[in-house]
Amino acid sequence: MSEQRTIKKILVANRGEIAVRVIRACRDLGIPTVAVYSEADRTSLHVRYADEAVFIGAPAPRESYLKISKILDAAKQTGADAIHPGYGFLSEKPDFSQACQDEGIIFIGPNPHSIARMGDKQAARETVKRAGVPVVPGTEPGLRDEDILALAPTIGFPVIVKAVAGGGGKGMRTVRTPEELPAALATARREAESAFGDGRVYLEKLVEGARHIEFQILADTHGNTIHLGERECSIQRRHQKLVEESPSIFVDPDLRRRMGEMAVRAAEAVGYINAGTIECLVDKDKNFYFLEMNTRLQVEHPVTELVTGIDLVKEQIRIARGRRMGPTQSLMEPKGWAIECRINAEDPYNNFMPSTGKITSLNIPTGPGVRVDSGVYAGFEITPFYDSMIAKLICWGEDRGEAILRMRRALEEYTIMGVKHNIPFHQNLMNSFSFIAGAFDTKFVEERFSMTNYEDVPSEEELETAAIAATLFAHRQRQLASQVVTRGERDTSNWKWVGRWERMHR
Amino acid sequence: MKYVTTVNGKSYEIEIQADGSLTVNGKKRSVDFRELAPSMYSILAENISHELTIEQRGDEIEVLVRGHLYSSQVLDERALLMAQRTGGSIGDSKEASVKCPMPGLIVLVPVEVGQSVTKGQTVVILESMKMQNELKAPRDGVVQAIHVQPGQSVEQNKVLLTIS
Repeated sequence: MSEQRTIKKILVANRGEIAVRVIRACRDLGIPTVAVYSEADRTSLHVRYADEAVFIGAPAPRESYLKISKILDAAKQTGADAIHPGYGFLSEKPDFSQACQDEGIIFIGPNPHSIARMGDKQAARETVKRAGVPVVPGTEPGLRDEDILALAPTIGFPVIVKAVAGGGGKGMRTVRTPEELPAALATARREAESAFGDGRVYLEKLVEGARHIEFQILADTHGNTIHLGERECSIQRRHQKLVEESPSIFVDPDLRRRMGEMAVRAAEAVGYINAGTIECLVDKDKNFYFLEMNTRLQVEHPVTELVTGIDLVKEQIRIARGRRMGPTQSLMEPKGWAIECRINAEDPYNNFMPSTGKITSLNIPTGPGVRVDSGVYAGFEITPFYDSMIAKLICWGEDRGEAILRMRRALEEYTIMGVKHNIPFHQNLMNSFSFIAGAFDTKFVEERFSMTNYEDVPSEEELETAAIAATLFAHRQRQLASQVVTRGERDTSNWKWVGRWERMHR
Repeated sequence: MKYVTTVNGKSYEIEIQADGSLTVNGKKRSVDFRELAPSMYSILAENISHELTIEQRGDEIEVLVRGHLYSSQVLDERALLMAQRTGGSIGDSKEASVKCPMPGLIVLVPVEVGQSVTKGQTVVILESMKMQNELKAPRDGVVQAIHVQPGQSVEQNKVLLTIS
């Protein structure tokens, strides 16, 4: 099926920074866009950037961004003939891809069949295993707690509890001893139920000292499937990625070739079309295991864009139109180095507790090698309804060292006031010897990183400057306040006073 | 005007004269301080240039310098005198409460009234921003009252639980 189709208008079924990112690609291509928004998002950035915007319901995602009928209605109402799902929300729901197809709307992503095959983690494992791709040992999904408890010892502890419908770390728990398993199952089921409406879980063996390395896949309807190199996402906390980079300091050309071939094989095994990602665990000895395939654009796609020069969203649209994709062969030699820091409204000094409220000041870094994909602006109110990620800071350098130095500079320039955020975490991480040396695995942040280890001790000079500035600020405010009091000796405005005086003399 | 300003636990005596000149702990400092935009300031202190973001938050003044955020307290002479008279340590009661750090939904309260808890023990699970957050006991004690139940939506700063 390689018929060419035109796309006249794209509806972006998402919010936040990714909706803005997709709208930008559409504007580059000259394609008009439609945003959708919930009650909480009328003033969000994606609504401001889109050509049209349609209201789709209450703030809770299941009332708006997860409601297929409302999204399709919005597309029909505005005459959008294609939908980009972004990541999260409906992006990996085969029903949604199917519903678009049934309505004659182009879904910018894979077909429902590939989403279903890869979305069901167990079916995915079986499929890629048959294609000769190595997988991590584990249980079937959807077992009852008793069966899981019985099977756990045969896999061997430590194990990891995962949600069948999972993603983004929700519904995931690491379990070291059989005693902890029942409680972990309960939490994981509860989280999975509330996040995905599906409480089914399964177990997988925990590969210790593992690094999370993934490959970007692109496949078109003309029979071409390629990879665009790896991204390393080992810097994570509670299975939430915090920092990603491309290439990986751990991957040599030979490993890149072998893993890349495996990734292409895995994608081809489900007849995959469009952009996707093959996630793998790689152990200390560079053995790699297929983890899962994400059948959508990834949060961390910009690092690949910066080392390949390819606009992945544009390629997604091109592929959805039935064209041949731009790049013709897999990437073996990335150009330079890119690092991404996820900027989350979370307090790194208080167990990464999410923070809500109004952003009172915002100053976004610029300059050579700096890219910011942001979903917020000064005056924007962060609500508790959605993910705490508010922006991504991506820096490019000729090599890893330059990328890290640029990241440090950009983090210093980045000003966000009014809510707590994790920029101090990233500053400390960029100073840590382990990160600089590339000596880390997926447990590094949780087990071996502390906010105090690499905290710069503030210099005397900086402390004094802060004290002087705070004092002058307070002094000026007090002076202003005293001026306000002394101005009107009458405690009412002069205009009012004049009005009364005139009336009195009529 | 004389001020005592505390940053990171360190106190500075800063005096601002009517002509705008300034001393820190009795030493003269040449300082040029300009407002550039709301919340945004530039300071040249002995020619050292810093861009600063400054905002009042409650009783504190937050100053962001090169990615470092400092919370500072500025007391003028009168306020300082008052603070000394009240002795400083008001409200050091025997009770500690767990307040809701952000709006959300109570998922679980894994403790009961009368139960003893240890510092750091999870006492409430709150769902917000799609994450389940474990709120911990601020210190050792006995749960005296629980003010919420699972399934309840709660506002920021609501007292969820008290420990005595």
